[in-house]
Parts: sequence; structure tokens; C-alpha cells
Amino acid sequence: MTQTVMDIKDIELEFPVSRSLVDFVKKRPGRVVRALNGVSLQLHKGETLGVVGESGCGKSTLARCIVRLYEPQNGSIHFDGQDIFAADAKADRSYNRRVQMMFQDPYSSLNPRMTTGQILSEALSVHNMRPEAEIPSRVAELLDLVRLPQDAAGKLPHEFSGGQRQRIAIARALAVEPEVLIADELVSALDVSVQAQVVNLLLELQDQLNLTILFVAHDLRLVRHVSNRVAVIYLGRIVEVGDSETLFSNPSHPYSQALLSAAPSLDPDDKGDAIRLQGELPSPLNVPPGCPFHVRCRHVTELCKAKVPGLRALSGRGEVACHHAEEISKHA
Amino acid sequence: MSDTQPILEVENLCTTFTRGGVALPAVRDVSFNVGKGEVLGLVGESGSGKSVTLRSILGLSRRYGDVTGSVKWMGQDIAQMPERKLRHIRGRDIAMIFQEPMTSLNPLLTVGMQLTETLKAHTDLNRAARRDRAIEMLDHVGIPAAASRLEEYPHQFSGGMRQRVMIAIALAANPKLLLADEPTTALDVTIQAQILDLILSLADELSMGVILVTHDLGVVAQTCNKAAVMYAGRIVEQGDVRQVLRAPRHPYTVGLMRSVPQNVPPRSQLYTVPGTPPSLEALPQGCAFAPRCQSRTDSCMATRPPLESIAQGRSVACFNPVTDAQGAAA
Repeated sequence: MTQTVMDIKDIELEFPVSRSLVDFVKKRPGRVVRALNGVSLQLHKGETLGVVGESGCGKSTLARCIVRLYEPQNGSIHFDGQDIFAADAKADRSYNRRVQMMFQDPYSSLNPRMTTGQILSEALSVHNMRPEAEIPSRVAELLDLVRLPQDAAGKLPHEFSGGQRQRIAIARALAVEPEVLIADELVSALDVSVQAQVVNLLLELQDQLNLTILFVAHDLRLVRHVSNRVAVIYLGRIVEVGDSETLFSNPSHPYSQALLSAAPSLDPDDKGDAIRLQGELPSPLNVPPGCPFHVRCRHVTELCKAKVPGLRALSGRGEVACHHAEEISKHA
Repeated sequence: MSDTQPILEVENLCTTFTRGGVALPAVRDVSFNVGKGEVLGLVGESGSGKSVTLRSILGLSRRYGDVTGSVKWMGQDIAQMPERKLRHIRGRDIAMIFQEPMTSLNPLLTVGMQLTETLKAHTDLNRAARRDRAIEMLDHVGIPAAASRLEEYPHQFSGGMRQRVMIAIALAANPKLLLADEPTTALDVTIQAQILDLILSLADELSMGVILVTHDLGVVAQTCNKAAVMYAGRIVEQGDVRQVLRAPRHPYTVGLMRSVPQNVPPRSQLYTVPGTPPSLEALPQGCAFAPRCQSRTDSCMATRPPLESIAQGRSVACFNPVTDAQGAAA
């Protein structure tokens, strides 16, 4: 029986764009970037949920909402049955401890003036994880956990390579013994051979510590490898969510199909029956009415232009937000 | 198509930068040929010298470092050619597109001006003809409503569109060789696929040679005829793309191929190359890859293996190359 630890319901988030002088003179109304347009997602205990999509589709915004860096205007996020944006929950620091985020850029996410030891002990003392006297031994333990040498504690971030820095970021997140890790493009900035090292470490730690991971990335091969389930986001909406292997081998939504076929195969002779998407992601300032994908979709009909498709379960597949999912998957 | 006389012959290219009195050998003894209509992929991790190699071909790194070796363009050595003469080749015969479409266009000039500037320098078209050609080029690279977009500035274009503009500028003067430095790294996969298709179809149409620098093995597999793998400034393996990717012989290439999660059980441990690439200041005495290599011997640590031909058009720099059987297992 899978246990839902995080229940995200219909969250919506808009960012106002500052009005320029021209807008004031022409009396144009203020515009908004619609980053998330009703995202619902459940995170099950102990799983890795991959989140994929093109840049600007709202993957990172979703991750940031989950760790309360942004507060959605509508919708709710429940963690362990409790609303994380409720008034009394906001003062609750234990949520911050139990859900930890790791960021994309290994060069800007660590304070350059703090040694690794200071970075890790800060996390430990802020959340009162250990009595003062035990902190150094816990730091040593954490370094060991992420396979960094013990002398790393006395070094500054600039002395480390990108891969090592991401290990420090992982150690910092794990210092406070979280239950959920949010990995926002954790390995995207790393070279392939180093990427594999960090991914292996993450998978190993997940089994060892029974962590739940939300893995946000744009590298599809990597997401397929680490995830149990995958959600595909397009323009602030989830268009498909389901079991990772099913979704990758047999995508149902036309966008997922196109996205997956765009990833170049390592086999020179496997040119694939590549489905080439026309055009680019529409600006989130100007989300098309109806299905947000209809302007690039090959299967578009009048219905798609008028009505937003909701996520619905498809037999044998996951959940898909497409009016014509049945016919499309029959042809595929 | 590749059995004709090569258009570009690079031989023993070395580029050395100096920082604080320390010599940094960024590129060492790099040699390769590019034929008409041939697409060569230069692969490697960051810092392996792929971009510097490209820049050295065009004489862009001689101001910052010491470049030796020969770069023959149609039989003529351009490595030591004076800047003024080189300018006739650069942009006309050999064009380059850079990694960041966001920063390589001038934000203060309209796209039309930047396109016609190249044409003015390298062709004798008149003003009206240049404008027509600019529209034709934008059209060619798939920018809708090209005529009206000529007057727009780079910030009005999206990332993928800017990269198309860069390609249009590079191809405006009908170059015979295109140097593409990670042209799609900053773009999404769906846009990447469009841009690579575009470069390939143009290369085919204009029988243009292409050197594509990338760190994505998938991109190499899908676009290139030949591949050269670089590590710490040297080519460690090169040959036909199928042979290099299917049956890699250098342990580093094998490691690269196997660290990509493809055709492995989900959530299994990935193969990893232990350690990190060496810094240029402290390159090992022998093979630069030896400290990370599992099949190293004492001789690997002491002397550097030369890049030796093992078959027609295929060479590898390793004393103990991976055998076919091992490579196939990978």
C-alpha cells in the first residue's frame, strides 16, 4: 500500500510583471506570468518522482512552492495531512527540516566564505539536531556518508569541483535528517562521468535512509533511470503522470511523445521515428486558451482550442490530460 | 562523400595559455581532417580543450595564448597567417557559431543589420540584394515572417530563434566549413532537435563540412559521420562514429558511454569513472587518464601513449586498448 506523504492540489501561482512607463501611458492592464495553472500531484513514501519539461514550464517553481519559497495563490499542499501554508504551520520550522531542497548551481548555492564544516554544522545547530559537543563527529559522519574525505571539513567551497560541491549540498540537506528531498536539476551542471557518481550516491542514500525524492531535471535519460514515477509538465500544467517505465516506453500525451522522441539516442543507426515539434513553448505571459499544447499539437481539434483537458486515468497507463488520448495511443 | 581531398587539415595543433607564470597546455598535438560535407563531432567533458581547438583553428586564441602546429585550409596554412589576410577566410569560407545565443549577438543592433554586416564584408552584393539575401537566410533557418523580423532586436527573439539567427549569420556568406561550438547546449531538447536537423540539412544541401563540439554523446550519434574524443587537451580516440560509439577502444570513451543511463535496468548503479579530470596545471606525466583508469599499468603512468592508427581512419591513444569483446559488453 503506497502512502501519500505530500498531496499537492490544484496549485496556481502567478507572478506580476512590472508595468513599464509605456504600459501606464497606454493604460494597458498589468500582465502576469502564469507559472503554475492548477498542478495536482501526489508524492508517495519512499519513491522518486521525476518531473520533466522544457525550460519555463514551471518545474522549478513547483519545487520552490513545495519548500515554501513561493506561496501559491490558489490550491493547497498537504504534508503528512497538514496544510503547509496554514497560519500555524508557517511558524513550524520542523517542516523546513523534514523537507529539504538541493539546488542546481553548485557554484552559487554554497556560501563561499564558510568552510564545509561550518556549512554542515550550521544546519545541525539551527535545527538543534545534535548537542553542541556532538556536532563535529556528526559532520565527520556526514562527510563519510557522501564519500568526501575528512579533511574536506576545513576547506572552502572554491577548493572543490562541481561534483564535490553537489555532494556537500547533499550532505547539508541530509544533515537535518529529512524525509523528503527536492532535487532541482541537481546534476545538470555536471559532466557525464561525474553525473553518474552523484546519481549513484543519491540512489544509494535513498535506499539507505528511506527518502522520498522529487527529482526535477530536463535530462530525460537520467529521469527515466532514477524515477519510479514521472510527471510531464507543460506550461504550468501536468499533462501526463504515471509509472516511469510505462510512460517512457509508451507515452500517451502527444507532448510527452514529442519530448521523448527529441532526446537523441546513443545508437547512430537509431534515428527513431522522430516526431518533430513545430514552434516553441508559448510564453507563460500569454497562455493559449483551451489545451495549452494545442498550438503545437498534430492532433488538434476544435475541442482542444475551447476546453482545457483535465487529468484522467487511462487504462493500462497513467493519468493523461488530453481530449484524444485514447485515439492517439491506439495509433502509437 | 568523405573520400575526396579534405578541406581542412589540422596537424599537431598545440595551444598553451599562461597564467601567473604557469603554462597551461589547453590543446596538445591535435590532428584531424574534415572533408567536404563531412560532420566531425568533437566530444569531451568541460575543460578537455574542445572549444579551444575550434577557436585555435580560426585564429581566435592566438591573442591569448601560444598556438603552434599547422592548420591547412584548402592546402594553405592559416595558423600563422596575418590577421588581415585571415579575415578574408574567417566568416566567408569558415564560419563559426557559438554556444550562447543569448550573448553572442549584439543587443544594440537589429538582427537585419547584423546579418547584412557579414554580407557587406564578404560579398559584393548591393544594399537591396543584401536585404533580400538576409530575408532569404532567415526564411531558410525557419524564422517565420522573416521580412518583418529584420528590424527587430535580439531581445525580441527567444533562445532557439536567436540560435537560428546565429546560424543564418554564419551561413549568410555560403561558408564551406562551419565550426559549431555547443550550438544546442543552452536549448531545450525539442528545440535542439530542430536546430540539429537544420544544421544537418544545410550541410547536406551546401555540401558544407561541419565540426560540431559537444559533450552530449547522443548528439554525436545522431548527427556526425566521424567522432574524436578529447581528454585533457588531447584526442584519445577517433574514427567513424559507429565504430567509436559501438566499439570504443579507449577506456575513457568506454567510461563515457557507460555512464550514460541507456539500456540499463532502472535505478541500478550506473557505471562511473572514478575521480575527476586532472587540472591543466598538474597533468600527470604519463597518460592523462591513467590515474582514473582501471586497466593502467606502470608504463601508462611513466610514458604517454601516442595516438596510433589501429585501422583505416581509426586511431586510439592507449597502451592497453579495450578489446572488441569488452567494448561490446559496454
